[in-house]
Amino acid sequence: MDSKNTKEIVISVCTGTGGVAAGGYKVIEAFEGALAEGGLKAKFKPRTHKVGCRGFCAKDVLVDVAIDGQTETYQFITPDKAKKIVEEHIIGGEPVKNLLVKKDYHAFHSKQKKLVLANCGQIDPESIGEYIARDGYESALKALEMAPDEIIRVIKESGLRGRGGGGFPTGIKWESCQRASGDLKYVLCNADEGDPGAFMDRSIIEGNPHSVIEGMIIGAYAIGSSEGYVYIRAEYPLAVERLRLALNQARERNYLGENIFGTDFNFDIKIVLGAGAFVCGESTALMTSIEDKVGEPRPKYIHTTDRGVWGKPSNLNNVETWANVPLIIKNGAKWYAGIGSDTSKGTKIFSLVGNINNTGLVEVPMGIPLKDIIYKIGGGIPNKKEFKAVQTGGPSGGCIPASYLDMPVDYEHLSQAGSMMGSGGMIVMDEDTCMVDVAKYFLEFCRDEGCGQCTPCREGVAQMVRLLTEITEGKGTPAHVSLLEELSHMIEDTSLCGLGKSAPNPVLSTLHYFRDEYDAHIIDKNCPAGVCRALTIFTIDEIKCTGCMVCARNCPEGAITGEKKEPHYIDQNKCIRCRVCYEGCKFGAVKKG
Amino acid sequence: MPTMLNLTINGKKIEAPEGMTVLEAAKREGIYIPTLCYHEALDPEGTCRLCIVEVSGPIIRHTIRVSCIQEVKEGLVVETETERINRNRRLILELLLGRCPYSKELLDLAGRCGVMTSRFLTGEDDDCVRCGRCVRVCRDKIGAYALCWVNRGYQRKVTTDFERLSEYCIGCGSCAQVCPTGAINVEDRGDERKIYTWGHVLARFKLERCKQCGRPFAPQKYLDWMRERAYKPKGLELVDIMCPECVRKTERPAPVEAKLAGMPYRVW
Repeated sequence: MDSKNTKEIVISVCTGTGGVAAGGYKVIEAFEGALAEGGLKAKFKPRTHKVGCRGFCAKDVLVDVAIDGQTETYQFITPDKAKKIVEEHIIGGEPVKNLLVKKDYHAFHSKQKKLVLANCGQIDPESIGEYIARDGYESALKALEMAPDEIIRVIKESGLRGRGGGGFPTGIKWESCQRASGDLKYVLCNADEGDPGAFMDRSIIEGNPHSVIEGMIIGAYAIGSSEGYVYIRAEYPLAVERLRLALNQARERNYLGENIFGTDFNFDIKIVLGAGAFVCGESTALMTSIEDKVGEPRPKYIHTTDRGVWGKPSNLNNVETWANVPLIIKNGAKWYAGIGSDTSKGTKIFSLVGNINNTGLVEVPMGIPLKDIIYKIGGGIPNKKEFKAVQTGGPSGGCIPASYLDMPVDYEHLSQAGSMMGSGGMIVMDEDTCMVDVAKYFLEFCRDEGCGQCTPCREGVAQMVRLLTEITEGKGTPAHVSLLEELSHMIEDTSLCGLGKSAPNPVLSTLHYFRDEYDAHIIDKNCPAGVCRALTIFTIDEIKCTGCMVCARNCPEGAITGEKKEPHYIDQNKCIRCRVCYEGCKFGAVKKG
Repeated sequence: MPTMLNLTINGKKIEAPEGMTVLEAAKREGIYIPTLCYHEALDPEGTCRLCIVEVSGPIIRHTIRVSCIQEVKEGLVVETETERINRNRRLILELLLGRCPYSKELLDLAGRCGVMTSRFLTGEDDDCVRCGRCVRVCRDKIGAYALCWVNRGYQRKVTTDFERLSEYCIGCGSCAQVCPTGAINVEDRGDERKIYTWGHVLARFKLERCKQCGRPFAPQKYLDWMRERAYKPKGLELVDIMCPECVRKTERPAPVEAKLAGMPYRVW
């Protein structure tokens, strides 16, 4: 490297939850240590830089090394590799080829449209300066010069809908809260993200907390509120810490507090920590929880925009919705309405998890075909297995089968397919997944997480779990299925809150699309995917078996016998169906069924 | 005079004052809607879901609502016994019976709605239907906060703090009074009062004796509570403790004294 020219070196290390878990902080330390060792620190003043979630969590720790604006991205970085990068790339001037991101990284980003996540992974979430440098808080400033009605008009025209699951038009919600009588109003942010496998709200707060704060300032001004709350899970310590820091930074700059931005508008945000109840993500339960009561939903016959927290008009939006607001104010309603499908505008963040190659956070325009998300962005199913279904919308969403892969992903199409947008969890399942077992898993989640107030959800869901358990244990009868259907419709009709109303969705959607699997469990007493232990038998194909002894060595019960280089046998009385032999056989000799 | 609103329940055109619930309006007209968690004295919570009705109207889209919370609206059309409602209601009763198969009151209610057996027998046998009336009366009306809910979902149950003998219970017995199935009991034996649910004693008290007849009748904590709540704010003293029977027998206070005090100076 030419030491005469001063070079600008910026090393950005992912410190989202995925990055930290993979050792992000240690990587930063290693970089700093290596830079100091090489004497580069004094020479170039290189900057190591913490950034939020980059989305592609499967490749963490992701590191960007920018030298004079020339950026190279590295994947799977550990402290050792960090040293190598410093030596070869920064000192030597040659990027370390084998550590660079591969094609799949670019494919992962090719179909995405990063708006909300644009700054996540680019800026330091703990620095307000970097957010401001990227036009942060400009929208808030612009909004405070507009009339509140004008802001609501813009939000309405943009077509923004609630990203928390229901998809209620945000502008209309704001308007009804603005019109509600009462001098004290609240704006609330729902960061109680509890769906299994969902982490988009967490990543937004961890990667760019100021965008949420800015959105809330704009919303509060439009509605006429002076107090805001962010209800966030205590299980998200990093997000809480960064949000707290961001709030303090905003207060220091007078972006929050009294007479913010030098106007006569007062607004401040408080953090409320949730204690981990899933049901507290439901709007009325969240509000009772903010009131320091037990977080239980109440009947919503009066809208929370009229009577919410402490009986005052309250406007609740989800993290992602708030983060969209500054973008709309900045770029205008027309720009936003130009993105997405007819009824669903803008982009949506999905957390892509399960049996998929590229696990991570993806932001796509609404209306993108499902297969683009799963195959182009997600890179398909690992181990050359078949795609079976994708579960969207959290525990109370539904399973969408392979025949719907061409379906555009937006609010309407998802609910037509028997699922829902939910907060944006996408759990991909391959051919080895038993759909009855999946339905049972999600129902168990709802049974354990429901508040237990209303009879249909408390008793009904528990009974549905019992019926499903009996089916997976081989005790199912055709009456089980009809009873499941009967219960599902009753629970949908009569439950108190949204959690109960949507709890039967996994059963209804799997019954609709995978009825044959239920029948196989009940009539043939067979689990086609080989998941339900009571209904699966593992046998060894004598022709394929080479007698390598791997299965016999691995079997925890000693159920497999056979001489070396002779076909092996499984003693069905001893077999506990742990699948170790099935998964370990290199020759495909172990068969299930 | 509250505004009267016109609505239709089961085809019958009725008038009801603003702010009244559909359940109350129906009751007034002699239309039966089964209830479990509803109690006249308590704020409705709408959790048992037995009082569901189908409503439609000019500003409400056709939907199912619980009648104990839904307020009457102008032009509201309510149906209490449609096929959909009956089917759902019966299934809810079956579910409740699955947990409380021997509760006489629940069996009566189920019989009235046409449910004879339950397909959901769980092998459990407690009389508590989780309606929460006891918790609400203790919390909202008495203000003792002795009873509370614990656990979530299917595990939810009523108990005292840490499932120990309650420190806060005053032994008034309101919980047993409002319990629709008799799951909470008050038992007075000798000079001891015991409040218990299925196999779990919530509180024990020594009963104070009536100064008149000498019969043990109320715990000291309860008498203190009443003094604090009912008499002290009015500047009165509870002069003598007397059991309800003896109070009825004693002479009424002289009219002049009653006027001065504003209320009987002597209770029990």
